[in-house]
Amino acid sequence: MTGATDNLNTLMGQSLAGDQRAYAALLREISRLLRPFLANRLSFTNEVDDLLQEILISIHKARHTYDGNRPCKPWIYAIAKFRLQDHLRAHYSDQLHHADDLSEWEDYLHGDVTGTAISYESISGEVEKLPEKQATILRLMHQEGYTAKQVAEMIGMKESAVKVAAHRAYKVLREKLER
Amino acid sequence: MGNIDELINKLAQDSTAVKRASHPFLLGSEWMVAALIYLAVALLLSGARHDLWLELHKPWFVAELAALAGILICTSLSAALLSYPDLHQKRSIAFSPIAAFVLFVLVMLFAWRADNPPAPLPVHSFECTLSISLVSLLPAAWTFHVMRKFASTHSRWAGGIACLFAFSVGALWLRLYEQNDSIMHVIRWHYLPMAGAGIAGMWLGKRVLKW
Repeated sequence: MTGATDNLNTLMGQSLAGDQRAYAALLREISRLLRPFLANRLSFTNEVDDLLQEILISIHKARHTYDGNRPCKPWIYAIAKFRLQDHLRAHYSDQLHHADDLSEWEDYLHGDVTGTAISYESISGEVEKLPEKQATILRLMHQEGYTAKQVAEMIGMKESAVKVAAHRAYKVLREKLER
Repeated sequence: MGNIDELINKLAQDSTAVKRASHPFLLGSEWMVAALIYLAVALLLSGARHDLWLELHKPWFVAELAALAGILICTSLSAALLSYPDLHQKRSIAFSPIAAFVLFVLVMLFAWRADNPPAPLPVHSFECTLSISLVSLLPAAWTFHVMRKFASTHSRWAGGIACLFAFSVGALWLRLYEQNDSIMHVIRWHYLPMAGAGIAGMWLGKRVLKW
């Protein structure tokens, strides 16, 4: 662990001096370091890749603020956390912006589950292919009949987060069913 | 994954030797010296209050000036640290203005209690806020301009602290210029608006210090 940190500090020092190969190696090392950090906090792989690119660009822009006399990792993680917060803020504000769409979808799905056109059972195969969290939420809401609030309490999430996850799942399902 | 490799290669090709940013303490000290020179020039142009020598013998007036100078010192160092993504790993110093403000509030509280019988309120009011704002404009613009060259990850705090730094310069100038002993007046028209400027700075920081 100390070896890896020393390596980062050394690479950073060489990069600041203008060594392009050391800089490429440093950015690769940072990507390797940050990928699991982001993957634990984001649902989709493409989100992780997009955000990782943004973070690398930010590190590139801010590299003059690192002087080589203090540990490098806290500096890297400060930038990564900052960009992650930005990303999550934008993501959730976008989801709230589409809150009307969500309620429309909920009405639509409630109607269809009890109606004859599409039942939960008829699409349960597709539901099970969704990420585990989304599949659980849809199963609890549409097979077992719990409300979003009850599901949130059961799985320890916020009600808004449950609705957002359900909304994402509805979107994926709609795309699959329309094909 | 391919995109990441492409990006890394592109960034590496674009990279050259980088001039490292100054140490935050050096940067903060530069801001302090610039603020003191600005304050001296402003006082030279406006003139100091006629009873300044007498006032400097009053302990609560001196304590008020010292506490205000404490805010100026803490906010300049803090603004410099907040310009760095990791606060230069000196988090406790970055939030030192909180302690300086607590001290300042205490000093003002004691000065207010000591103002007995209360000194008469001057006839003017918002003109003081306006004067402080005008004098603070240049230091605020300069500080924001310099901070934009860095990479703050606490843009709200950084903006708020930068505005407080600039307003502490303006507040010091007015206290040394205006012939007024009413503590109620200075709290109401000098220092409360200064707190308001800090809040406005948070709003401004979010927009101006974006990178």
